[in-house]
Amino acid sequence: MSMIKIEGVHKYFGTNHVLDDVNLEIQQGEVMCVVGPSGSGKSTLLRCLNHLERITSGKIYIDNELVDHRGNDKDILKADPKKVSSLCAELGMVFQRFNLFPHKTALQNITIAPITVKKMDKTKAEANAMELLRKVGMIEKANEFPSRLSGGQQQRVAIARALAMEPKIMLFDEPTSALDPELVGEVLEVMKQLARDGMTMMVVTHEMGFAREVGTRLIFMDQGRIVEQGTPKEVFENPKNERTKEFFRSIL
Amino acid sequence: MTAAQVKALFEGTLVTIELTLISIAIGLVFALILALGRISKNKILNGITWVYIWVFRGTPLMLQLIIAYFGVPLLSKSLTGEYINLSMFGAAVLGLTLNTAAYLAEIFRAGIQSIDKGQMEAARALGMSYGQAMLKIIIPQTYRRVIPPFANEFVMILKDTSLVIVIGLSELTRVSKQFAAGGDWKFYFIAGGIYLFLTTVFTVLFDKMEKKASKYE
Repeated sequence: MSMIKIEGVHKYFGTNHVLDDVNLEIQQGEVMCVVGPSGSGKSTLLRCLNHLERITSGKIYIDNELVDHRGNDKDILKADPKKVSSLCAELGMVFQRFNLFPHKTALQNITIAPITVKKMDKTKAEANAMELLRKVGMIEKANEFPSRLSGGQQQRVAIARALAMEPKIMLFDEPTSALDPELVGEVLEVMKQLARDGMTMMVVTHEMGFAREVGTRLIFMDQGRIVEQGTPKEVFENPKNERTKEFFRSIL
Repeated sequence: MTAAQVKALFEGTLVTIELTLISIAIGLVFALILALGRISKNKILNGITWVYIWVFRGTPLMLQLIIAYFGVPLLSKSLTGEYINLSMFGAAVLGLTLNTAAYLAEIFRAGIQSIDKGQMEAARALGMSYGQAMLKIIIPQTYRRVIPPFANEFVMILKDTSLVIVIGLSELTRVSKQFAAGGDWKFYFIAGGIYLFLTTVFTVLFDKMEKKASKYE
């Protein structure tokens, strides 16, 4: 079943062509890894999916429903705004810089969205949150403020926070890039567990080991285009595109 | 000093405190709305709030108070044919509120814009609306950062309530001036002492609030 479908998507920042005719389909249960040099449009692609950025033209479907459609043709299909916000809520997002709410404890960081958006009962939200904290191994830090947590711990809370909204797809935007090397492992471990549980994931990452181990598919982006895709093994071992080869040479 | 004079000074001080608290309380709510207008992407809202702040920060508070008390009746007469008279206290509150709202709005705007934009993105990505994100995530974080400039404005308004002397309202400055005019210069210094006491009390109070609000940092 197709969870995300991206058709002919273009995105400009001013005159800068950040996404150039991107087409991609992600099936349920896939762990799609997105790699490429910085400025290649990886993060922008992710951010366009949940409307943190708006595309300039093209179509995006989530769960087979249109969520974004821009273009110059006159009779353009309009996505229903109410539907769009509920579809966007099916996407959980984890940021490079965690973006935990500093004035809330770890527990409150997780409960605030279910309570505010889903009008969930506070006791129920807290019970769910404790379960999620247990899952990411952070239960003993439930009442700490983010400033008292290490980067890895913050990121694990951030993953729990996104999971609290029961998303069908999790988007990871370089989740380990801001971490000290010795803290990367604990975050990847949580992500691997999620993948094993069958979560559909789209992961922008520089962690090639992670991509190889849990990625079901890998795309390589350069200058706003998807220049190569396949299973991680295929792309790593036998890259066809010159740009891809060069990139792997430079990072390995 | 007679008992009647002590009573008059006390009542004048109360008027000063009332003016300050009421103007700040109403001005604060109004300022928050203005600040949201200033950061809004809506050009009309943005323009209106910009003009408001420009006018009220760019003209003297004393003139604004004079207009509120003496100007409003004349203005309403020429517009509607009827005099609308505000009480002295009402006019004083109106002038002080509108003025402080302009200053507080800029304080709040700066506070809101100082919050990392990742906070709004995280809130939005969790499905919160812009309003929910502002109310639950952004504005609570501005609280601690805004306390020092807010305390500053509070003390300014507390002192500036003395300007309402131009419309004849009997607050602390006017009361002591009347007694001093009777020949006893000490009243000027008594008034000064009372102002100093009040500003000190509120400054200490705001310092405490700031310390308490820093608990998560």
